[in-house]
Amino acid sequence: MKYKDYYAALGVARDADADEIKKAYRKLARQHHPDMSKAAGAEARFKEVAEAYATLKDSEKRAAYDELGRRPAGEEFAPPPQWRQAHTSAGPMFDDMDLADLLAAMGRGQRGRQQGPVAMDGRDYDTSVQISLEDAHRGSRISLSLAGEDGDSVLEVTVPPGVHEGQKLRLRGKGGKGLHGGADGDIYLHIMLKPHPVFRPDHHDLYFDLALTPWEAALGAEVEVPTLDGSVLLTVPVGTRSGRKLRLRGRGLAKGQGASGDLYAAIRIDVPTTLTDRERELFEELARTSRFHPRASPKESEHASTAAS
Amino acid sequence: MQAQQQAEWMWLDERTTVTLSELSRFCAMSPAEVDELVEYGALLPLAQGREELVFSAQCITPLRTAGKLRLDFDLDLFSVAMLLGYLNRIEALERRVRSLEAHMPLPGLLATQAEPNPLRSSRSD
Repeated sequence: MKYKDYYAALGVARDADADEIKKAYRKLARQHHPDMSKAAGAEARFKEVAEAYATLKDSEKRAAYDELGRRPAGEEFAPPPQWRQAHTSAGPMFDDMDLADLLAAMGRGQRGRQQGPVAMDGRDYDTSVQISLEDAHRGSRISLSLAGEDGDSVLEVTVPPGVHEGQKLRLRGKGGKGLHGGADGDIYLHIMLKPHPVFRPDHHDLYFDLALTPWEAALGAEVEVPTLDGSVLLTVPVGTRSGRKLRLRGRGLAKGQGASGDLYAAIRIDVPTTLTDRERELFEELARTSRFHPRASPKESEHASTAAS
Repeated sequence: MQAQQQAEWMWLDERTTVTLSELSRFCAMSPAEVDELVEYGALLPLAQGREELVFSAQCITPLRTAGKLRLDFDLDLFSVAMLLGYLNRIEALERRVRSLEAHMPLPGLLATQAEPNPLRSSRSD
C-alpha cells in the first residue's frame, strides 16, 4: 500500500494538538468542500483532507498511524506484522486494503482479537436526473450514471408516474454492494423537470397562458386548449377578465394511483395590432356606445351605479 | 421486472412515514442522536406516545444533507439541529419561488407588453 502523509495534507506539525488539527481541517474543508468551491480538483482535495482528518482526530487511530513512522508520501510500504497484530483483524483482506480503509476499519471494531471480517453496508448514492414533463406524467425508464469506487456504472430504472419538480425518491438496495453480510446501499434520486414550452408546473398542478380575443373574453367561447393527454375544449365564461385563471380539474400532472393535479389556463386578452377598416369601424362604434370604464375607482363606480339607478 | 423495480421506490414525501430506527439508519445517525434532534425541536414526529416515534419521509433528505455536512465539517449535533432548520427553510423558499414562477406569464409575453412605457414618457413631459 501507498503511504499518505496526513499531517502534510492538513498542513500541521506532527506534534500538533487536537485543536490545531481541527482548526486546520475546518479551514481546508471550507475552502475545498464541493458545496463551497467549483474549482477543478476541489473535490479530490477535500477527500484528501477529510481522509487525513478522519485519522488524526481520533487519538487511537492517530497513535496507530504515528507508529507506522514517517515516510515520503506515495512510497510503497507494508505495515509490520506486529502493527497488524495490534491494530487490525483484516486477515486475508489486509493486502487488498489501502491505508485509509485500514484505519477506517479500526473505528468499526475490526481490531485486536476479533476474528473474521465485519459486515459492511454498501454505499448510498445521491444523484439527480432531469426528465420531461411528459415522462413525469406517464412514468419513464431512465439510465442513472453512478460514479462508484470501482469505476462508473449505469443503472436502468423505471421512474413511476406521479413525480414532480424537486421530488425525492429512494431506490432500496440499488446502491453499492454490502460486504460480508452488510446490506446493499440505496439510491437517493432527486427529480428535476425540463422546462416545457407550454406548461409551467407547480407541484402536480400545471399552468399555461391562454390568449383570448376581446370578444371571446366578453361574450364567452369554447376554445381548444392543450393538455398532457391531448387537446380538450374549454368553456370560457362570459365576461372573463385578463389574469383570471380557469381550472380544468384533474388535467394536471399524474399524482400516481389514478389521481392528477389540475390544469390552469391563465387568461391574457390580446388585441389585433393592425385593424381592417371594418374592424376599426366596429371598435369605434363600441367605444362610442359602451359605458364600460375599467379605470374607474370603486367610489366612482358606486356613484355611477347610484346615478344610473 | 418493471413492476418489481417500481415497488422498490420509496417516495420521500408526505405520502410515506418512517420510524425513528429507519430514519436513523437512512441518515447514518444513531437513534439516540435522532432523539436528541427531536428534543431540540429540529425534527417533528408525526405522532407521540407510540412504541416508536414516526416521522414523515419528507425529513429524510434534509437530515441526510445535514448529517453529511456534519461529517464533512466535524459539526456537533446542536449545529446539525440549527442547520436542519435552515435547510428546511431554503427548501420551502425554493418551493415558493417555483410556485410563483409557475403563476407568472412566460417571460416572452412580459417583454412584449413591457414596451413602450406610456407612464414614463408622460412623466418626463
